[in-house]
Amino acid sequence: MNPADASALAFDPSRSDAQVIAQVTAVADGALADAAFRIDHEGHYPLDIMASLGEAGAFAAHLDRNGARFGLAIDAMRAISRRCGSTGFLAWCHDVCGLYMEQSGNPALGGDVLDAHASARTFGGTALSNPMKALAGIEKMLLRATRVPGGYRVSGALPWVSHIARGQYCGAIAGVYRDDGSLSHEVMFLLRFTDDVALRPCPAFSGMEGTSTWGVRLDGHFVGEDALIADPARPFLARIRAAFVLLQAGMAIGVAQGSIDSMLEVEPVLGHVNRYLDDRPDALQAEFDELGARVAKLSLTPYDGSKDFLLDVLDVRTQGAELALRASQSALLHQGARGYLMNSAPQRRIREAHFIAIVTPAIKHLRWEMARLSADEVPA
Amino acid sequence: MNTAAAPWKQFLCRACGFIYDEAKGDPDSGIAPGTRFDDIPDDWACPLCGVVKADFEPYEPAVAVSCGQAAAAPSRDAGIVIVGAGIAGWSAAEALRALDPAVPITLVSACAGDRYHKPELSIALGRGLVPQTLVRETAAQAAARLGLRLLTDTFIVGLSPALHRLRTTRGTLRYTRLVLAQGARPALPAALPPGLCRRVNDLAGWSALQRALSGASRRVAIVGAGMVGCELAEDFARAGHAVTLIDVQAQPLAALLPPLAAHRLRVSLEAQGVRFAGSTQVAGVVVTAGGGKRITTAAGSTIDVDEIVAATGLVTDGRIARAAGLAFERGIVVDARTLQTSAADVYALGDCISLDGAPCRFIEPVARQAGVIAHAALGRPHAAYEHRHPVIRLKTQALSVVLHGQPCADGEWRVTDERPERLAMQQWRNGEVVATLEAGSPPQRVAA
Repeated sequence: MNPADASALAFDPSRSDAQVIAQVTAVADGALADAAFRIDHEGHYPLDIMASLGEAGAFAAHLDRNGARFGLAIDAMRAISRRCGSTGFLAWCHDVCGLYMEQSGNPALGGDVLDAHASARTFGGTALSNPMKALAGIEKMLLRATRVPGGYRVSGALPWVSHIARGQYCGAIAGVYRDDGSLSHEVMFLLRFTDDVALRPCPAFSGMEGTSTWGVRLDGHFVGEDALIADPARPFLARIRAAFVLLQAGMAIGVAQGSIDSMLEVEPVLGHVNRYLDDRPDALQAEFDELGARVAKLSLTPYDGSKDFLLDVLDVRTQGAELALRASQSALLHQGARGYLMNSAPQRRIREAHFIAIVTPAIKHLRWEMARLSADEVPA
Repeated sequence: MNTAAAPWKQFLCRACGFIYDEAKGDPDSGIAPGTRFDDIPDDWACPLCGVVKADFEPYEPAVAVSCGQAAAAPSRDAGIVIVGAGIAGWSAAEALRALDPAVPITLVSACAGDRYHKPELSIALGRGLVPQTLVRETAAQAAARLGLRLLTDTFIVGLSPALHRLRTTRGTLRYTRLVLAQGARPALPAALPPGLCRRVNDLAGWSALQRALSGASRRVAIVGAGMVGCELAEDFARAGHAVTLIDVQAQPLAALLPPLAAHRLRVSLEAQGVRFAGSTQVAGVVVTAGGGKRITTAAGSTIDVDEIVAATGLVTDGRIARAAGLAFERGIVVDARTLQTSAADVYALGDCISLDGAPCRFIEPVARQAGVIAHAALGRPHAAYEHRHPVIRLKTQALSVVLHGQPCADGEWRVTDERPERLAMQQWRNGEVVATLEAGSPPQRVAA
């Protein structure tokens, strides 16, 4: 592809939020909604639809080069997740991968390479679940790196990494060990799935099977300086952490909105009995609106490094997961047997909502971290 | 070696949590039951997630820990939720329960929530008190007596007044009425690192200091010669410690007292063995090679001590109130008559509030505030709250200092009586007495 083609396909920052959302929604409500059952049941990995969503501008708005319009990126993720939570998760993976690449400041990960990613002509995800938990003290770092001329050699295995495949890539972090075996620091890099990286099928999950999730094993895999995102990784992670978590709100509110849709869908025929249920659509809609407004406000300053901002972000992320759980359950109760059918959206959203509640950072991790941040530091 | 003699061990996959049990082996991967982990081939992988053998670690099941709150089962019944288990929070709980034996009450506390009398912390060390003797009733006992649900070690993280929901680190609570009594937290200047400076704003902070100072005479620096700083300085000196009291002002309690009275206070503190370092700005703190702490002043001098206590004032954390859209001005703004915040069904009392733009962090008004809020929250008629500036009584024992009224910065202090054993003064402003002050030998030892 020559540069002229690339720029023609890059996100046009002059497009308004409404224009972008209209185009993203057209794809989400059309091709994606039609494919949602196949994605869920056959584990279909919808790269063709991801490409259409990318072309519509779903994965570019949050980048600095496009005006850091986080609210728009989250709203696009909401529109996608409303129709298919699994693809909403792909959208988040893709968005944060683009964010890593841009924020790295590494020229080899910017320019046309980033344009191709942001418009979903190439695809990549994120393998930060383990490192995020490792750096929070919840578990141990699984990838180990040693310094070699021109880069690092990385070994180790990650159990499940999504939105990856041969020829794709993802952001990853490894602990860097000195010759004497001691841990020096952590390095973050773009892991490219070349032939020497083993991809192992995962056991079947109960949902989210269309996310192309693999076990990854590296054995002395070389990472060159052209693939480095941050070295050391910790200051970089501290800077992007709130933005990383905040973007996930798009998945939560999208699944909640889809659930409210399902309740309203049966209101004409079942409203006379559904009014005896808890968590009616109007109550959930009020929560959805309140949460959406707070997310939109936080989206204006995604790189605010203060502790208060991080707490606010962790709070909306938690609230989003809780709302998705309650809304998806209530949607099934509202639909009754028709919502329990294998091809119905409510039963699928139950599984999607639970994924949102357990994917890193899970509700329990979020509360653990909020408690840690809320406690006063005192002398030992 | 007879391997059967050693107990079977378990190994945990660090990636996915799968447990390899030597007794059971991994028959699906060709590892027979009874295969020691060490004897498994190195190319064996986790049957669940595929990570390699090296990513397993020895596993010993942890003993399940209960949070120990029998009454903490989550309830979907909305009721009155109180945030904070200090004097204000417990006072609100008492007042509510006295009026209504049945209304569901949930009390959320960031700390253990045990009941103690906070002012006592200022004089407890000199009396040889220990944390157990300061606790008058444990949180669990109080919760059982009052029939309320208790959530301890639980932080509030967000509030949605329109939805009547309070989010905490142990889940989201619905409420019909919310009472905020979360207090204020020590305001630490940047020069005082939180990891090196103790604060005495709650029982946990005092208890940690009490442990650190027990068993020997220590060198203690108290930064900030306000009321708490002066009280602690005298108390620690009585307990046998070498106290340096540091303040940017030339005299102790200079923000409140006229120079004549402040001088008497200083003389009294020095007679108790307190070294007063006035006009001194702390520039930084470092740990010395011996494990002590070295304070550097802006003037370049150093003070070496074992412990540093920050008594540099309090500040109300405004994050949650602001994010929830509550009016906030140096504290949660409340209506001076109803103590309702700017949000419907949300009330506040104690150290966290501001009345007419100013906090009022004294004990005396708290019980009356709790009574007003309890009536309002339960829809019972009650007279409006009337704020009176409390009498200020310094809990120093060698010199009694009592201040009536509300001294202002631009008033004129006049001496009405000046003898070695007694100083009395009045502050005049616009032709009126706005405050009176008495400092002298205490008529008797004031009880706690």
